[in-house]
Amino acid sequence: MVIKIEHKWGMVVDLDKCTGCNGCVVACQAENNLPINTKDLFMQKRAFEWIRIERYWEGEFPNVKARYLPVMCQHCGNAPCEPVCPVYATYHNDQGLNVQVYNRCVGTRYCINNCTYQVRFFNFWEPTWPERLQNQLNPDVTVRTRGITEKCTFCVQRIRRAEITVERRERTKLNDKTMAARNFMPACVQACPTNALMFGDQNNQEDKIHGYFEELHNHEGHSDSRGYRILEEIGTDPSVIYLKKVDQFKMEHSESHG
Amino acid sequence: MAELKTLNHHYKDMWVFPDADDLAGLPAKATSIGINKLLLWLTLILTAIGVVGFVMRASADGLNDYEPWGYYMAAFSFVFMVTAPAPLVSVAFRLIRSHWRRPLTRIAEIFALVGIVNFVLYIPLMLMIPEIANPNGAGHHSLDIRRTLWIQVPWGAPHFWETMAMLSLPVMSCLILLLSATPDMSASIQFVSGIKKKFYMLVAGYWKGSKRQWLVMQAAIGALGGLYFLTLPFVQFLISTDFGMSLIAGWKDSIFPAIYTLMGFQTSLAAILIVLYIFRRWGGFENFIGASQFWSASKILLGLSLLWIYHMFAFFITFWYGRMEVEQNILNYLYVDSWFWIFIINALGSWLIPFLILVWNPVRRADWGAPLAAVFVLIGALMFNIRIFVGAFNAGREQIYDISITFVPDAVGPDIWDLCMVIGIIGLACLVYLIGLRIFPVMNIWEIKEGAMYQKMGRLFRGNYLVLAKPE
Amino acid sequence: MQEGRVLPPEQINKDLLNSIMSTPKWYWPAVGICSLIVLIAATIVGYMINKGLGITGLNRPVMWGFFITNFVFWIGISHAGVMLSAILRLAKAEWRRPASRAAEVLTIFSLMTAMTMPIIHTGRPWRSLYWFFPYDFARGIFPNIRSPLVWDPSAILTYLTSSVLFVFIALIPDFAILRDNTTGLRKKIYTALSMGWQGNARQWKLQIVAGILLSALILPVFVSVHSIVSWDFGMAVSVKAWHSTVFAPYFVVGAVHSGVSAVIFVLILLRQAYGWQDYIRREHVEALCRLLIVVSTGWFYYFCMEIIFGIYGREADEVAIRTLQFTLYPWNWIMIIFIVTTYFLPILLWSRKVWRRNLLIVSIACISVNIGMWLERYILFVPGQINKQLFTFTWANYTPTIFEGIIVLGTFALVTLLLLLFSKVMPLIPLYDIKEGDILKTEVQIGRRTVPATFRED
Ligand code: SF4
Ligand code: SF4
Repeated sequence: MVIKIEHKWGMVVDLDKCTGCNGCVVACQAENNLPINTKDLFMQKRAFEWIRIERYWEGEFPNVKARYLPVMCQHCGNAPCEPVCPVYATYHNDQGLNVQVYNRCVGTRYCINNCTYQVRFFNFWEPTWPERLQNQLNPDVTVRTRGITEKCTFCVQRIRRAEITVERRERTKLNDKTMAARNFMPACVQACPTNALMFGDQNNQEDKIHGYFEELHNHEGHSDSRGYRILEEIGTDPSVIYLKKVDQFKMEHSESHG
Repeated sequence: MAELKTLNHHYKDMWVFPDADDLAGLPAKATSIGINKLLLWLTLILTAIGVVGFVMRASADGLNDYEPWGYYMAAFSFVFMVTAPAPLVSVAFRLIRSHWRRPLTRIAEIFALVGIVNFVLYIPLMLMIPEIANPNGAGHHSLDIRRTLWIQVPWGAPHFWETMAMLSLPVMSCLILLLSATPDMSASIQFVSGIKKKFYMLVAGYWKGSKRQWLVMQAAIGALGGLYFLTLPFVQFLISTDFGMSLIAGWKDSIFPAIYTLMGFQTSLAAILIVLYIFRRWGGFENFIGASQFWSASKILLGLSLLWIYHMFAFFITFWYGRMEVEQNILNYLYVDSWFWIFIINALGSWLIPFLILVWNPVRRADWGAPLAAVFVLIGALMFNIRIFVGAFNAGREQIYDISITFVPDAVGPDIWDLCMVIGIIGLACLVYLIGLRIFPVMNIWEIKEGAMYQKMGRLFRGNYLVLAKPE
Repeated sequence: MQEGRVLPPEQINKDLLNSIMSTPKWYWPAVGICSLIVLIAATIVGYMINKGLGITGLNRPVMWGFFITNFVFWIGISHAGVMLSAILRLAKAEWRRPASRAAEVLTIFSLMTAMTMPIIHTGRPWRSLYWFFPYDFARGIFPNIRSPLVWDPSAILTYLTSSVLFVFIALIPDFAILRDNTTGLRKKIYTALSMGWQGNARQWKLQIVAGILLSALILPVFVSVHSIVSWDFGMAVSVKAWHSTVFAPYFVVGAVHSGVSAVIFVLILLRQAYGWQDYIRREHVEALCRLLIVVSTGWFYYFCMEIIFGIYGREADEVAIRTLQFTLYPWNWIMIIFIVTTYFLPILLWSRKVWRRNLLIVSIACISVNIGMWLERYILFVPGQINKQLFTFTWANYTPTIFEGIIVLGTFALVTLLLLLFSKVMPLIPLYDIKEGDILKTEVQIGRRTVPATFRED
């Protein structure tokens, strides 16, 4: 079998546009059948947020600013979570995605420990939904059981649907245009009111995110662009690029966290 | 009784106490070994070559910049690695009361004199070590304080403290040597003459051999040995980090000092075994040095060689499995790319060849097995020091204040003056050791006598057997 | 003077088999209590499997807690066996003799107990099948050999197999004695187990050769087991405190430290319980303590390396972890207790010969070491996860629940129970080894003193 890498999915997060509204979090919750995050779950520190908005405060009151950092699985090109799984429950597929096979997962939680970005979640309890939400569950996404690790999939079910629809039915290539035209994009991207999230194909020359990756790979560390990847020095080669926030009002002693 | 019979076939390999005639002659014999004048001259010439090399290098490059001095550092570290733990080897075996140690303790202790050489050689290095604080301050990719074991820059760091630590070693080890040689010197005063006699009188004149003196002497050696035991790993740690690890930005490797310490013991034992073999073979000490010494020491040498590869592997797999760029760079630089062949020789010498030689029981039982392996151990250790220290000194001056090294530097070969210095430093160490052999009794007479008391031969059925007393 | 009498073989048989031939009063109550605790723990495990791991204190950053700590602790204890019987056997240390069997048996039981921990820890134990066995179970996919978690079961199962073999080979001559001293069904069983042992020269030779061969072969396994367990942590690049090159030797030495302490404690208990004063003598305890001084100092060296290189790089995330470990409640207390109990207190208690020969003091030191070593693993594993990377947003503390505590307690009860049951059917001190030691023992007259001596057997 010849593996032809046609797509290598990636995302660009423009921190300048992010308002911290948490819309993506809710969208992901609905799309991917995440259990309801009750107060208990939050207090136990076991809430599920495949994408989370990290909020950091900068400066001293009253001269204070909130910084937002949406973090989802970075679909690392060189993912530390992959080799440590004893049963190949997490592996890299030929589209640059780090996929999690729920059926294989035995629950060692090593991948969670070894994920640099803390974006993996474990089902400590059997996930439950209130009666009235039962019909809301997305039929394209597996409902997980207890003892299983899960994480952001770049909404792989949507990508598959897009592939099937576009390539088989419309007989065109799946690319930026066709995707945008039929609204095939991850739930979080779709839901973002300020378009802070961009999703696309790193390998596709015409894709809007292609340029950012090109830029990053060509001028490593020295580019003028705002693009950077978080915790890059670990060597994980993430597929998510963050665009630095542009500050209109420079703060004194600005010190960045995170 | 059935078991006893099975012991018989080992008898001929055992080190049996020398008989009374031999023992009586030991003091005279131990103080008057004829060291070939030629050997002395040879080492002297080598030393002279080294001095020339040093002068040329210093006049060409000066002492301010450390980069051209990689081979000097490697040779220094090699000599330090081999000689500094040697006194400890003797103290340690004395502490665990191994019976076979008796003929080799003095040979080990005389290495203490080379400690003085180590200190002298260390002085220029102290001048070269770059500042810990970054003169340019922190930058985008650089730190304001270099990554060293000095977290802040305390007063006198690193120069003063390191010098103190380096100085403490020869002081302590020479004291150990003098103390343990005192009874022997007093026993052999009558066999020496001239200036040597004066020296013996000075050191051992007070010795009467009263019970109290013995107890004090042994307690003092124990205390000094303990102190030395605490100091030595610390100094090895200083040398391996300040002159090695911290010069490659971002090299953070907690097992490296342990490897250095381990190799210290391995090479010291190797050097001692070689000297021991020479004494047995050509020095006329066959009656005092038995095959059993080599048999026992070879097991330890084998164990140390295996420990070496174990530690190395622990290092390797951790760096290899991680995916940080800096780890990959360091692995490429020191192991699989730039210094690859040196690493291979290092691994062969420190582990594979000694292992292959020493796994065979007959080889270990023979007196030549362990010394043969020891030669390879020393070669491997030399390569290790070249790889690490020349590597560290030549990783680029400009990157030492960086957060991590972002490129894989090239290996650097020696030029003629480097070679001269390497030869000269090793020659100097040999010279001092040879002089030490001429000054001190080369056998530990009181320990051998003590050992002879602890053994008893018996005859059972068709064979002899040996009984060993275990006081306490 | 020779310490301990040289007893006739019949007496040795009688004394050392008394744990099998007679039942002391405390025996069944002790078994009962242990079984009760094990039962309670097992019930909780069942409850946990039913409910999910939610009943533990684990949470998002801290995915490995008490169970893994306990796993590593028991793996550590299991290193005593080979240390005492294989290494000291190769090193010809006379004082190993009474300790060897107890150490090996402790090895086996603690390994078995340790193995249960990761299985419990996954929450759905039946699925461990896919992980432990190199077989694809019709799924078309074999375990991932790149994962340290696959190295683990292979190393541990190998170690378990070879330890069982080792113990069995050492037991054969003793089984033969039991066969000769029992009747009825027991005799039949022991007859089968003793495999036709007659005690002739050839059989002895084979048994000795097998023992020495196994000692040598088991050594690499011994080293690899704990190294691999340490690489479970060392391979994790993302948890800063774990990614340290020194872990393998550090863990192995620590394991020997705690394991040998545990063996000493078990020996002292046996001595008191079965009246084996003539076999487990103060000189043995003393020699073992002397060994431990060396081991613990080596351990301390590696410990310092680990700590020093934690702050060596001065990376913010690593510094945060060390700050947590050293300065913040409750970790600072755990840290202090751990360092004191693992190293300083025992070293102090072992520092004088009189104290080394005082069984009470030695027991205290040995228990203290094991408390410390348990805490060591805890403080090594958990803070690294609490402050994982610089995502301060997700940092969270870990508080174990009572259920985890009881399960951990249950493992201690389980090992005790297994040891108790074992002592009822097999001798915990190798009879033949003791007899051999007695034969080799003699005395030498030096001046006016009589000094104990042994026949040289190298
Ligand atoms: S972000 Fe975490 S879960 Fe996603 S690929 Fe990287 S290591 Fe794996
Ligand atoms: S890409 Fe999909 S799964 Fe990932 S965070 Fe966004 S919505 Fe959730």
